[in-house]
Amino acid sequence: MNIDPTIISNIFGDFTPIAPMIIMILGALIMPAIYLSSKRRNLVTGAMLAVIIISIIINFVLLVGEYTGTYAELFTYDAFSGLMILLFQTVVFLVALVSAASTETTRLYYGAYSSLLLAATTGMMFVATAGDLLTIFLGVELVSISSYALVAMKRNDPRAAEAAVKYVIIGGISTALTIYGISMLYGVTGTTNIADIATVLSTDGFSWAFGIAMITIIAGYGFKIAAVPFHMWAPDVYEGAATPVSLFLATGSKKMGLVVFFKIFLVLFVAGSAVASFATVEMQYVFAIIAAITMTVGNVVAIAQPNIKRMLAYSSIAQAGYILIVMAVMSEYALTGGLFHMFTHVFMKGGAFLIVGALISVGIGEKISDYRGLAKRAPFVAFAMLLFLFSLAGIPPLAGFTSKFILFSSAIYGDGGVMTQWIWLAFIAILNSAISLYYYARVVKAMYIEKGETTDKIKIPNAFAVAIAICVVFVIILGIYPQLILDFCSNAAAALFA
Amino acid sequence: MIPIEFFLAFAAILFAIGAYGVMTKNNTIIVLMCVELMLNAANINFVAFSAFTGDAMGQVFVIMTITVAAAEVAVGIAILLNAYKLKKATEVDGLASMRW
Repeated sequence: MNIDPTIISNIFGDFTPIAPMIIMILGALIMPAIYLSSKRRNLVTGAMLAVIIISIIINFVLLVGEYTGTYAELFTYDAFSGLMILLFQTVVFLVALVSAASTETTRLYYGAYSSLLLAATTGMMFVATAGDLLTIFLGVELVSISSYALVAMKRNDPRAAEAAVKYVIIGGISTALTIYGISMLYGVTGTTNIADIATVLSTDGFSWAFGIAMITIIAGYGFKIAAVPFHMWAPDVYEGAATPVSLFLATGSKKMGLVVFFKIFLVLFVAGSAVASFATVEMQYVFAIIAAITMTVGNVVAIAQPNIKRMLAYSSIAQAGYILIVMAVMSEYALTGGLFHMFTHVFMKGGAFLIVGALISVGIGEKISDYRGLAKRAPFVAFAMLLFLFSLAGIPPLAGFTSKFILFSSAIYGDGGVMTQWIWLAFIAILNSAISLYYYARVVKAMYIEKGETTDKIKIPNAFAVAIAICVVFVIILGIYPQLILDFCSNAAAALFA
Repeated sequence: MIPIEFFLAFAAILFAIGAYGVMTKNNTIIVLMCVELMLNAANINFVAFSAFTGDAMGQVFVIMTITVAAAEVAVGIAILLNAYKLKKATEVDGLASMRW
């Protein structure tokens, strides 16, 4: 494709690297006004979708036109940030589409809700373009503070209030740990620019203060991606929040945490691997152990969950564990697989949450036992759920299989040959996929084999049907024709490693 | 001039007190205050490093951290009020309906 990014840079000038975010933040500012003046949720949804689509078009032109640029030394737009911005925009598109149709989301404060949603997405996009610890920190905080409020904004449910309190306290601790680590890193290197930090560290080597900084930053952002042992908040928050918000957190906020991991640790340790005293190999083992424990705990605990939102929450903890393989292997191929898996995860986990949300909106509960006989009552929904769950488990030819294949094989193949170092990690990951099939199959069994109390047909809201259809299409297409996204992923990985 | 180690030790102690409070206190408002202590420990680090290296970025970071902390407390207190209205509890023990 031949698209010229100068169309965008003629309009935005120096602001071109942050053009998609400018549109998003303007949208966030006008949404409450639109809602207050019209009091119609559908109008706000339409305006939100318009803003998101404009932002997607701008980003897509920049991404396909291979634009690179820097704004104020704080934001850098390249193939990596462009791809991640596209991911966050996809997530918020799905959430915005269904928010008004869901019965769980707030009615009275819908203007504030949509504003917070767009603001949180802007934060994620800022993190994707950040080249400085300051912008990463502020972006993550923008997302966190917005999502505390989003979680609390559920109608008539004390569980949401409890989840929000837990989220705010855990989030505060994570912020404090991170900022303490960043202050140590600043003290060691005298700068907050990530590229400069890498340069300083590759001459100075490892020091105890750098070690403290790394531990606290890993712990702080480990909370954001819900890596074990920092995962205890995630199931409570995903269960307590309105389902569109759970979707947003599980697919968007978690991906942002992973982007931070890639941006800080991958860059620092790959740069530092030239220095013998830098402990890159030790850190690889630390990440490998975190990855192995995260996927195992996520999958094993998910087996025991009767609540489907909680089960999906544990399953996304496990998925984050799979993606953390990238941090252990630290190769360009692994990052390509990781980014691809992040994309497919949006559609399969997002799709599953959309179905849960749609069914709650028509009065079906959150328990797996409530899904009995669903195949008779809503054949399309049940079949879509089957596709998403099998894709999450990694069954060919669905998207989840392709992305898991690339991700796991990157732990075995690398540098043009077989690496023996990480075979055990790939083995644990494959074993975990087998475990996960058990609890996904339980839902499928309830839907297709067990008999329900009624066989009344269910009609889910149209907005949900459209969003689910989008997810189904992508789960199938990305499984059969992964090149659609894979080329962008390998460009993005190359840009981060450059 | 006071050596930088003193500032770092002070910040580390402040951080440890905050972390201790977060882990042991039952009242959620005290927990939020302890989080503030931890954030301020980082601020002291930043200002100390900034003063010793003569680089302004650390002070910029402190302003940003204070802003973020204020926003977080504002949202946090609102959420605690909401929880009190719906569940009549501000203690950590009273907010434990969801486990595992």
